[in-house]
Amino acid sequence: MPYYETSQEWLRQSALLIEARPNTTRITTKYHLTDKTGTSKKRQKRRQQQESTTTTTTAPTASTPRASLTLKTFDPHSGACLKYRTTKAAEVSRLILSLGQLGRRMAALPLPADSDAVMADAGAEEVGTPGVEKSEGVASGGVAKGQAPQTPAQGQQQAGGGGGGKGKKKRGKK
Amino acid sequence: MSPLSNDEFFAKLVELFDSRKGKDHGSIVLTQKRLSYNQALPEPADETVIPDLHPPRPLPILIRVTNAKGKEDRKAKQKIKLSTVVEPDALPAFFERYADVCKLGMASLKPRDRSKRKGKAKKKSKAGAATTA
Repeated sequence: MPYYETSQEWLRQSALLIEARPNTTRITTKYHLTDKTGTSKKRQKRRQQQESTTTTTTAPTASTPRASLTLKTFDPHSGACLKYRTTKAAEVSRLILSLGQLGRRMAALPLPADSDAVMADAGAEEVGTPGVEKSEGVASGGVAKGQAPQTPAQGQQQAGGGGGGKGKKKRGKK
Repeated sequence: MSPLSNDEFFAKLVELFDSRKGKDHGSIVLTQKRLSYNQALPEPADETVIPDLHPPRPLPILIRVTNAKGKEDRKAKQKIKLSTVVEPDALPAFFERYADVCKLGMASLKPRDRSKRKGKAKKKSKAGAATTA
């Protein structure tokens, strides 16, 4: 369950995941109001306890952001889960529009020209992996219709994961 | 609950965001996925082609929104669930509007910090001076 450092990286990996499993992957966006400064009774109690032990805790809490936005791409079939979190209001608009880009992939619409970079990367990564995985995927894809959607997708994912150092974070979470 | 039309959905979403404004707890969860339920996919003519990966026509997207309430709140009818189906041709327009609604709705996020930017600018000029020197 990795959190990515940058939204670009999250977007790239999410695009790959959706490409591999367009039918099952979902994207959840959670806007969570956190009560760091607020009036919740539990927190007030806790803060009072803290204050009784250390007297200087009140000042830093005042400046903390009061909400966070978490983007999560999750595929229940493979258990892959990619996350990105931010607290900056300036990012919201861009992030939602990138959800739109990913939505295009989900809808299987032809991609706009500017997202070609991701596609090119994906292609390069697949080329860079040993041919065994890919040929396995293709071969088993031809065998049984029922299993066909799963096995080649697995191959693709492995290919994506093996392509770069970042892939390590992404895979093998069941 | 059957999906709302896109316009109704936005109206309710704005309401939902407004209901959390000024509050210091709670969540709003937005989800999107391909609508594959009840979508007729033809039998693949060629077995090596996977219908999921290469559908013959674009599929709609299902958008769901909840206020993440459960248990007691669900019993008290406090749980709000909205959903809408976005047709492929409507996607770009939908997401532009969606982005606007979210930007306005997510008001508790940290605003752009101007004092910090000034600080950075100062640092930069210092760094620049250091490199040129």
